[in-house]
Amino acid sequence: MKTWFSISILLLWMLMAVVGPLLPLQPDEVDLSRKMQGPSAQALLGSDDLGRPLLHRLVYGAQTSFFVSFFVVGISVILGTFIGAVSGYFSGVIDLVITRIIDIFLAFPGILLVIALAGLLGPGIENVIIAMSCVGWVGFARLARAQTLSLVSRDHVQAAIALGSRPFTIILKHIIPLISAPLIVEATFGIAAVIIAEAGLSFLGLGVQPPSASWGSMIRDGTAYMLVSSHIVIVPGVTLMLVVLSVNLLGDRLRDWFDVRTRLKN
Amino acid sequence: MLEFFALLQTVLSFLVVLTLKLLVFVAIASMALAALFVFFRRLKNPSGSEFELREIGEPFLFFFSKLASVVFVTFGVVTLVFFILHWAGGDPTVYMLGEFAKPADIELLRESFGLNLPLEQQYFKYIRDVLNFDFGVSYHSKKAVITLITERLPATIELAIAGLFVALLIAIPLGMVAAVNKDTAADHGAMFFSLLGVSMPNFWLGPILILFFSLGLGWFPVSGREGFASLVLPAFTLGTALAAILSRMLRSSLLETLNEDYIRTAKAKGLHPFVIVAKHAMRNALLPVLTLLGLQLGALLGGAVITETVFSWPGVGKLTIDSILSRDYPVVQASILLISVIYVVVNLATDMIYALVDPRVRLGGRPKQ
Amino acid sequence: MLEKYLKLLLIISIIIISSCNEGEFDGIRFGLAYAPQNLDPRFSTDASSTRLIRLMYRPLVDFDNQQMPAPALARWERLSPTHYRFVLAAAGRRFHNGMTLTAEDVKATYDSVLDRKNASPHRSSVALIESIEVSGQDTVDFKLRKADPAFPGYLVIGIIPKALIDQGHDFSASPVGSGPFRFKSGFVDGKLTLERIRDKKIFEFIHVTNANTRVLKLLKGEIDIIQNNLPYELTQYLESKKNIKVMHRNGSNFTYLSFNMRHDALKDKRVRLAIVHAIDRERIVKYMFGAKTRLAAAIFTPDHWAGDPQLKSYDYDPQKSKALLAEMGYTKANPLRLVYKTTNVPFRVRIATILQHQLKEVGIDVKLRTYEWATFYDDIKKGNFHLYSLSWVAVKSPDIFRYVYHSSSIPGSGGKNANVGANRNAFIDRLVDEYIEKAENTYDIKQRIHYYQKIHKRLIETIPVMPLWYEEHMAAMRKNIHHYQISYDGSLDSLINVTKSPK
Repeated sequence: MKTWFSISILLLWMLMAVVGPLLPLQPDEVDLSRKMQGPSAQALLGSDDLGRPLLHRLVYGAQTSFFVSFFVVGISVILGTFIGAVSGYFSGVIDLVITRIIDIFLAFPGILLVIALAGLLGPGIENVIIAMSCVGWVGFARLARAQTLSLVSRDHVQAAIALGSRPFTIILKHIIPLISAPLIVEATFGIAAVIIAEAGLSFLGLGVQPPSASWGSMIRDGTAYMLVSSHIVIVPGVTLMLVVLSVNLLGDRLRDWFDVRTRLKN
Repeated sequence: MLEFFALLQTVLSFLVVLTLKLLVFVAIASMALAALFVFFRRLKNPSGSEFELREIGEPFLFFFSKLASVVFVTFGVVTLVFFILHWAGGDPTVYMLGEFAKPADIELLRESFGLNLPLEQQYFKYIRDVLNFDFGVSYHSKKAVITLITERLPATIELAIAGLFVALLIAIPLGMVAAVNKDTAADHGAMFFSLLGVSMPNFWLGPILILFFSLGLGWFPVSGREGFASLVLPAFTLGTALAAILSRMLRSSLLETLNEDYIRTAKAKGLHPFVIVAKHAMRNALLPVLTLLGLQLGALLGGAVITETVFSWPGVGKLTIDSILSRDYPVVQASILLISVIYVVVNLATDMIYALVDPRVRLGGRPKQ
Repeated sequence: MLEKYLKLLLIISIIIISSCNEGEFDGIRFGLAYAPQNLDPRFSTDASSTRLIRLMYRPLVDFDNQQMPAPALARWERLSPTHYRFVLAAAGRRFHNGMTLTAEDVKATYDSVLDRKNASPHRSSVALIESIEVSGQDTVDFKLRKADPAFPGYLVIGIIPKALIDQGHDFSASPVGSGPFRFKSGFVDGKLTLERIRDKKIFEFIHVTNANTRVLKLLKGEIDIIQNNLPYELTQYLESKKNIKVMHRNGSNFTYLSFNMRHDALKDKRVRLAIVHAIDRERIVKYMFGAKTRLAAAIFTPDHWAGDPQLKSYDYDPQKSKALLAEMGYTKANPLRLVYKTTNVPFRVRIATILQHQLKEVGIDVKLRTYEWATFYDDIKKGNFHLYSLSWVAVKSPDIFRYVYHSSSIPGSGGKNANVGANRNAFIDRLVDEYIEKAENTYDIKQRIHYYQKIHKRLIETIPVMPLWYEEHMAAMRKNIHHYQISYDGSLDSLINVTKSPK
């Protein structure tokens, strides 16, 4: 039941993101006389601080937000898991170097990187993805490494080593499936965090540029007027919440599925 | 292009010399630490045997690798920050003097900041100063950077600890309730509640908390740092997102532990689920949670910027961002250095604690096969 | 486990309750949007510090209502074009440490600014001073390297005591001046405390960056007064609150839209005219700004002595824009494409979005690019833009004309002169140059005004920038605050008279 609920919410918004540009929507139509008006026949969810219809912006924003968050989380998870697993599996110099690099990245403020990138590359959605993946993989790498460390001494890995499997085969077949559960949980959170962080980036001059919409920037802009007209922040806020909820519930299902599979193997 | 290679060469040769020097220093320091360690060990259980130089080997290697990595990481951060900062463009003097800046004033200021020197020389000078614990003077306030930071450090640590505390206060009961009552309404309720934390960004949650608890109920001051009451709302704002992540992590690791044999045994004995969880499962389930906490520490220390802004909390995070935006190089460099040192030291400490607590983990940091 | 939690909650609530009964504070609290960076008048550059410094120190010269230099600590006499004599007045001569302000202190203050070792950011504004000579307690002579009619207007740095300068006193950490407010305690935890000497009233200046927080703090009574840096909607919101009163005053900060004259399309005057007529400033001001915001025609407001009350700016005429664009061959398929750069201040972005939309209505395709200030400023200084908008803040002296519009002030010409002026859009007009030079070379105020008005008219004709508006100043305060007035330039001087009645 709730799985279907999550799937339908996610599918709905993904559909919106895909077909949005084909619909007769006017997300950038500024109309100052309708500034901050509540829901009406013309604007079903009310209009924003420049009189633009919130529903239309929400549909267009879905595109940006989904695109960015899936890409960033995807790249980060793949990169982070692999690097982390490699680091955890091979002890010694490789592990030492990788963990130190991870530490440097963790201690380093992402915002500085973003400002530098904004200056060098200029604004643009691809550059957001680059910047956020640069910072994002580290968390996954650390988690993956810690999990791998606890797995290496387990029997099935030792058996694989004894059988002479190649290290990369072991990592891909025997380690990554086992460590994916906490990584998926982390990733489902990553999606929400990325959507919100994108708002911060566009604020610093990287990322989606006005008047284009993204959910994060809609929430950020709406917050400025929350005392005056709360629907501007509630509409994108609730939307984001529902999507995050759905992603997490699906993440749970996925986790259970992995769990069952690993148990069957054992 | 040629210039670039020349620059690279000078920087590299400087780095090599510096690394060698640092290694010698680290070696001496770890020798001393290892000797101390052995001394205490022998003091604790006098085995009576003759002291052998061999005994010092393992602790020496341990301290050496740890100290070397601390030096390496902080050094890496410092270098990275230095170059990226200059890469990012924007001129601190122009920022200070504003639109009416006169060329003579800009020149004078650049000179007094040492910004007229070639980049590699600025870098060498900076590294040398840092090694002498001289972090320079803020361009804007003319205050010693070390003062600026130490003024704000207590506020930052206070907020980070309080945020962590709030996160645990929320996450532990939620995670437990959810795990014990897996797939029931209580589970969903608890997880939904925790998800509110991640999907409400701090710049939104902060003002809402103020609106209800400060303006509406009058329990806490709106902002500022005066007394314990003023800490509550910022700590909640900061803690909720972490609480969400922690409670989910706790739930999933609890569920994993609950499947282990000894828990099944406990269940078979008819113990109440909460007792099982609290007494048996919790200890093991908390380990991944602790790893995550270490991971989040950097975020709590440096990433509290939005919370600090909303609540006018005078912390290091906002200082760092403000000085990045105003290109106040000495402040940026020193505060990032500080955050990274704290981070590295805390991680070092957890490593050591692991080595002490877990008998399988030896000083080398890896479980015995 | 549960018990532990309950106990913890109990302890927390006890602590909260016990910390709530503080004594009632009867001073006045002012909410600052920006933290002051440096309270030493020789080194401060930011607006927040400048306003607070005016409360604690006194300068030799200040400005009157028309922004003409006027005596403050001293009145002056021009003995020759390069020799000015200043005689200290009787009032405001007592430093907060008890010493009396004398001519020696004036000399010491300016000598210290001029000393290269100190690297004061204000050095070059007074670098034309050749020597400062003291004759007696109250008289000090300034000798200049070259004549400059605007000279007395440069002596605006607060005077500090010689004895403390000699000791190397840190004026930023503990300011000592002769102003109406005495420094009590520093900017620790975002709070600066001053004491009004007249009646020992305590004033706290509290730094609150976030606009929502500042408003909430005012509503709760944790601060008494706030000024500016608030979205218009929040101002309206405060106006609807019964224990808050809101004031408006017209301001003088000139917001403009700049056209890069190097750009292939923009150097054609018809393109600029098309843009100018496409922008409906009245509509923007009506919906986005407070009632006292005025449309601008020139860098100086009509009430400034160098301003022109008769000056006419451009009308909103989208038909004319479309006609002009069509005439130049721009069509729907091949529109005029421009990039518009702005800072990331949310309000600026909002205005930029409206402008973009209005330009789109007439068929101009504008892309917005938002940057944080340092990157933005780097770009526009290098001339790396098509359109940008910005404000001139606190412009008083007409030497701004040379700085912004003279052909010799184009920055980025390379080498040492890279920052020589702010003619960032590379505007070159022979007539404007000529008028600026003529005005600079006369001491006759009437003549100068005559040339300034000619410059204004010529700028309207040639359209190097589009004047947008002078944004209003607003202040909001608790109803029990009295005698607060917003000043012309947003300074906090009227705090000298402010009182607070008991609730």
